[in-house]
Amino acid sequence: MRRRPGIAGLQNAAATRDQFRLVGENVAKVRTDVMKEQLATFRSQLEEFARKHKSDIRKNPIFRQQFHEMCAKVGVDPLASNKGVWAELLGIGDFYYELGVQIVDICIATRSHNGGLIDLLNLRKLLCQKRKATLESLSEDDCLRAISKLKVLGSGFEVISVGRRKLVRSVPTELNKDHSGILGLAQAEGYVTVEQVEKEFSWSTGRAIDALETLLKEGLAMIDDGHRDGKRRYWFPCVTVSSDTAGGEAK
Amino acid sequence: MQRLGDFRLPPFFNYPPYFTLQPVRETREKQVQLWKDLILEYCRSQKIHTISLEEDFPLFSNPKIERSLSHEAKEVFLAALVSEGRAEWMDKGHKRCLILWLRIQDWANLIINFVKDNGLEVMTIEEIRSGIDTRGTELEGIERSVLMRALRQLEQKGKAAIFKGTSADDEGVKFSV
Repeated sequence: MRRRPGIAGLQNAAATRDQFRLVGENVAKVRTDVMKEQLATFRSQLEEFARKHKSDIRKNPIFRQQFHEMCAKVGVDPLASNKGVWAELLGIGDFYYELGVQIVDICIATRSHNGGLIDLLNLRKLLCQKRKATLESLSEDDCLRAISKLKVLGSGFEVISVGRRKLVRSVPTELNKDHSGILGLAQAEGYVTVEQVEKEFSWSTGRAIDALETLLKEGLAMIDDGHRDGKRRYWFPCVTVSSDTAGGEAK
Repeated sequence: MQRLGDFRLPPFFNYPPYFTLQPVRETREKQVQLWKDLILEYCRSQKIHTISLEEDFPLFSNPKIERSLSHEAKEVFLAALVSEGRAEWMDKGHKRCLILWLRIQDWANLIINFVKDNGLEVMTIEEIRSGIDTRGTELEGIERSVLMRALRQLEQKGKAAIFKGTSADDEGVKFSV
């Protein structure tokens, strides 16, 4: 661009900039239009796919998860609304809604035993009992999706990772680092002693007892004074993964 | 599932902390509830009518996990049953406890229904407790004092009349249904 001196030159430069801007916007618009079109096509193909494979999606948790991932890639959330096209197509909204209600039931039923924190695998097992289904038919992914919808209820439903396990929290109790540390430590044997906690984290006795007593008060721990070595043990029902969930009476 | 004889034990029985009295209120309430139900179910299935705190009671310890209830814990659980009317202390020292896995009222109803169903009019006390007619029913082996209380309740309602025979063995009851 040849610079021309004077006002005319300035006006020219401005006009040129405007033109470039318009072209730029046009290019962007074209790109967006093309993208929108591509997405629309993709979406309708996805709907077609969903229609065709409706029964597979309902029956097979792995297929279901892959379907969700596909949807996520194009920005479709089949669970966003119970009334949407998707809900009608698949009745999938109902599946997760029902699952969510059952999860709430189980969390409430087991709360007095585990303090509102339950191991995700235990939750799945109890769900399968309730639904009279096999463990394979209900994946971890299914539970996580149903729980993420529950978060909307705002009553503190959340999945947290402690140690190498996932726990579902159904009470507003916040776990600080000391507490999470203890829960992680408890995963080995289901319980901890004050000594073990002190040693593992190099804490003072006071700090260890404080944390343990808080967990006890929150209902997340139970004491056990019956061992012949006379040492008090703090047991954590939420980290025990068992075939018979002790005290779990979710029916 | 663990068993005590032919009785199926619930899962909580294998979880050590349940054998220690829990200090936190909500946890304690859950614990008491579980033990109350277990005691009633176990006594009903084994037809045990009394528990003595001075003797070993198989339900109060679990050798598999090496845990036993303390005396205090046993008292707490039994006291909870007493306040619900499902048990009664037999002595001031709270050493023996009568377990009413059926309430006296329920026993009375059971007896009246049994008598109706079987067209019986007169029975001796011993026949009710150990006769052929009651074999295999819940009435078999019923604790004498419990039976008498149930019969007296029926007497008050005019549905039965207790009479004495020549000796204590002949004590009987006439039903009017």
